[in-house]
Amino acid sequence: MDIRQATIDDLLGMQNANLLNLPENYTFKYYLYHALTWPELSFVAVDPRGRIVGYILAKMDEDSTDEVIGHVTSISVLRPYRRLGLANKLMKQSQEAMVAHYKASKITLHVRKSNRAAISLYRDTLGFEVFTMEKGYYADNEDAYGMRYIFPQAS
Amino acid sequence: MSTVPKHRQLPDKESKLFKELIAQYEVKQYKKCIKAADTILKKLPNHGETLALKALSLHSSLPMPPTVASLPKQEEAEAMARTAVKKDITSHITWHVLGILAKNRKDWEEASRAFAMARKQDSENVPVLRDIMSLYMHTRQYPAAVAARHHYLLMRPQIRSSWLGLMIAHDLNGDIEEALQVYDGYVSMVYKEGMSPSEHSQVCLYVVRLCMEAGLDVQGLDRLEKAFRDGVVSPRGEATKLKAEMLLRLGKKEEAEESWRVLLEQNSDSHDNYKGFLRTRGLSISPTLDDTSREKVAEILAGFAQSYPRSSAPKRMQLDVLQGDAFRSFARPYIITGLERGIPSLFVDVKGVYEDVAKMQAVGELVADIVQQLEKESSLEEDTTEPPTTLLWAYYYFALHLSHPLHPEPNHSRSLELLEIALKHTPTLPELYMAKAIVLKRSGDPLTAAYAMEEARSLDLQDRFLNSKAAKYWYRAGQIQKAEELLALFSKKGAPVVTDQTDLQCLWMMQEEGDAYRRTGNLALALKRYQSVFTTFTDYDDDQFDFHTYCMRRMTLSSYKSLIKYEDQLRSHPAYIKSAREAIEIYMRISDDPSLTEEHLTPEEEAERKKAAKKAQKAEQKARKAAAATSDGKKEDQPIPDDDPTGEKLLKTETPLEDALKIWKPLEKFGNERIEVWTMGYEIYIRKKMWLAALRCLKEAYSIDPEDPTLHKQLYNFKHLSQSTDIPPMIKETISTVLPSLISGDLEDFNKSYLDRHSNSPTHILSAAQALHEIQPTSEEIITILNRLISPDVRINIQVILRALEFLQSAVPDVVEEYRGRCRERFPSAWIFSSLSEQVVRAEQMALSVGSGEEQSKADV
Repeated sequence: MDIRQATIDDLLGMQNANLLNLPENYTFKYYLYHALTWPELSFVAVDPRGRIVGYILAKMDEDSTDEVIGHVTSISVLRPYRRLGLANKLMKQSQEAMVAHYKASKITLHVRKSNRAAISLYRDTLGFEVFTMEKGYYADNEDAYGMRYIFPQAS
Repeated sequence: MSTVPKHRQLPDKESKLFKELIAQYEVKQYKKCIKAADTILKKLPNHGETLALKALSLHSSLPMPPTVASLPKQEEAEAMARTAVKKDITSHITWHVLGILAKNRKDWEEASRAFAMARKQDSENVPVLRDIMSLYMHTRQYPAAVAARHHYLLMRPQIRSSWLGLMIAHDLNGDIEEALQVYDGYVSMVYKEGMSPSEHSQVCLYVVRLCMEAGLDVQGLDRLEKAFRDGVVSPRGEATKLKAEMLLRLGKKEEAEESWRVLLEQNSDSHDNYKGFLRTRGLSISPTLDDTSREKVAEILAGFAQSYPRSSAPKRMQLDVLQGDAFRSFARPYIITGLERGIPSLFVDVKGVYEDVAKMQAVGELVADIVQQLEKESSLEEDTTEPPTTLLWAYYYFALHLSHPLHPEPNHSRSLELLEIALKHTPTLPELYMAKAIVLKRSGDPLTAAYAMEEARSLDLQDRFLNSKAAKYWYRAGQIQKAEELLALFSKKGAPVVTDQTDLQCLWMMQEEGDAYRRTGNLALALKRYQSVFTTFTDYDDDQFDFHTYCMRRMTLSSYKSLIKYEDQLRSHPAYIKSAREAIEIYMRISDDPSLTEEHLTPEEEAERKKAAKKAQKAEQKARKAAAATSDGKKEDQPIPDDDPTGEKLLKTETPLEDALKIWKPLEKFGNERIEVWTMGYEIYIRKKMWLAALRCLKEAYSIDPEDPTLHKQLYNFKHLSQSTDIPPMIKETISTVLPSLISGDLEDFNKSYLDRHSNSPTHILSAAQALHEIQPTSEEIITILNRLISPDVRINIQVILRALEFLQSAVPDVVEEYRGRCRERFPSAWIFSSLSEQVVRAEQMALSVGSGEEQSKADV
């Protein structure tokens, strides 16, 4: 699958993939907000017919003042496109972009406490660690783990 | 304005109050504003500006979107704003307020007119100017935008965004040179001051792109190189891509090549990076490459495959390039690796080459061979043993291959056998059931397919993808309620699932549900769902509004420009086009047969309807209670209920053709690339008896593809109708000069030779039958043509056969059952060809035999 930076033209495809695959969904405007603020940080995986089968939607943390922190709003790979390492590749691209364009020192994300598959991907494959727990973070009141990964060049 | 007109003057006390009113508005103390306004109005009831500000304050104090309680107040505010303008028509305030209110209800046209009037009254007013700049961009009035932005820059030259706004307005107005000049001014006036590095970088890349567009590659490259040296722009990603492109255009091939190497180091999974590299050597991945070029490309890609062993791109691209034996010997290990790793998407990946018939055949043989070898000796290479899962995935692949629509002789039953063997080995793998569902769907049995997808879902209930797929398959099987029940598992609790998913802009759900209702004959709800697709696109369109100012502030100019370009062609999105096609067709049916708008419900349907209405009512009550509990107990504060939840009002339209035209109009500008725009337009105009507009559609379609199936039957339709006498002579004359260039000679012969040219294409065959029906509606010859659709030398196309049945039903209903019988005989697995009532009976039987299984799965979630 082709992996490249997301453009405005990809956003509806990302929204579609998100709605098919994940319980956390966003309206189009939120995707626009990402693409029109940090155009370098979001990436898509595309099949030979041009359909978006995976994506990472990412931003910079604007509340943080002392540190430059990147944040993954959403990352997803459609079920049939697993085992290709796409999530890993998408994450790497976004991380590298955060460092190159914004000099980020680390990256954070939220994950459902019950989503063991995702937690293991972030921890075991991508080197993230849990640094906090947020009670009732999700709309259905489930708790979230805050996970982070400190970029090696920053430490 | 030097003197204040008399009707606007205020006595001292009121004048003071008026100022206070404005001050309070700015700190959002709307209640105080209204109070102050009332005091003034008590004494001076005709003071337009006060009335306008009262309207604005009232409006600002209301919730967005409006609620049941706030709606009357909103209407009051709107009326008040209009009265204010009447009372003081030369005030910028009254017009400005009218514009703001229009803007808030997203009536962009009225807003920009009102703002223009406000500006006429006071051209130096900055808030008015700011509003009108956005509106001009939003409504694509670029020359006016340039003028307004220019004016604003003169007034606010110290603000960066005034310069950037003018620059991009010039650019979008098609004047790059002016844009670049503004940039020079900007650099000398405000450059760098307090800019963040990323903002700096955004502006720089935008200007480089401007240079490229203007053909100023040397200048663009200089700017970019300098930005790299100064550390303003990071060479990661887009910037280096721009550099590579400029270098190549300047003939500096080696340097360009080097840039692409840098890009490949950054991202070796991007196909674009490989294609860019190849371009520097005058090469590409085109199927028309000559042999020497092909060898060169393959060699380069093979080299990269070694440098980047973890990247699939250079390997996958070799599949596209290689031919013959070279393709075979490369494809075999490629496929085996995929099977060994158990990659479910291997089929989707490889079928990309299936458009090349020879490659499709080669892959089929390779996989057949792999299956056979593994069945015999569980080994593919000497001295190695394959794990049993390799064979499992080989079955999976082969099943999808054998049933693929491009396969010359799809063998659905063989595919299903293979999957059964695989399932015996591993009954817990959802992918196998998914494959089964796909094969069954392809064989024309959406109902059994849905049950198979349901089994896949039941193996992993937490997986939303499986949930979505199962829901989609239930829709395809016409079981809307079941689909909704599944979707509800991943929607907001308490809210009706369709409302929730529509709010989340779930286009596929709206479309599938619309299609499902259309197929089951509920045209009202079908229209309702298609309309929600159109409304969603209006929202997508409106969403850009805030970014006209936001992007100037964030300086993401290139992205902003792509946003504008994107929104300009937004409705060419397949979801819009598809829903438009279906909705327009329904409106055409209503126009042809207004009795369709009266409902013919069976008693079961009526009961069902009542049940659904009750359920919806309950859900709404529940939602209301929940809302009341969270919003300070204010009971009446509820969202405005949908006044047409069943789509009845949509269906009972008096103006079906106008409704259709409204959907079609935004598509007209995409006509250059899309023939269906014209064939859709034809159906509307011909019914409106707008002969010349209809003829134009045919001409435009003809210039894109004279052989298009829809066009072909429409030509016959037009020819037939244009012989009618009630056409004005002038128009008749135009028709008789133009039409012969589209259709001529003996009409039967014309149709026969058309059929001969496309004797194996289902869509063309159907079209020829429909064309014949226009000139000679005898059933025998039509059936003779349609029989081709089910003859052994024509590949089965389920959708076309369904349309043929529909066509027969309306054109020659007395032969439809006989034809249906023959379709069933020819494709026994294709239950979808059976009559609706037969399908309903079968669905009930299957539901009974599957029984309590799904009750259990529901309880598990």
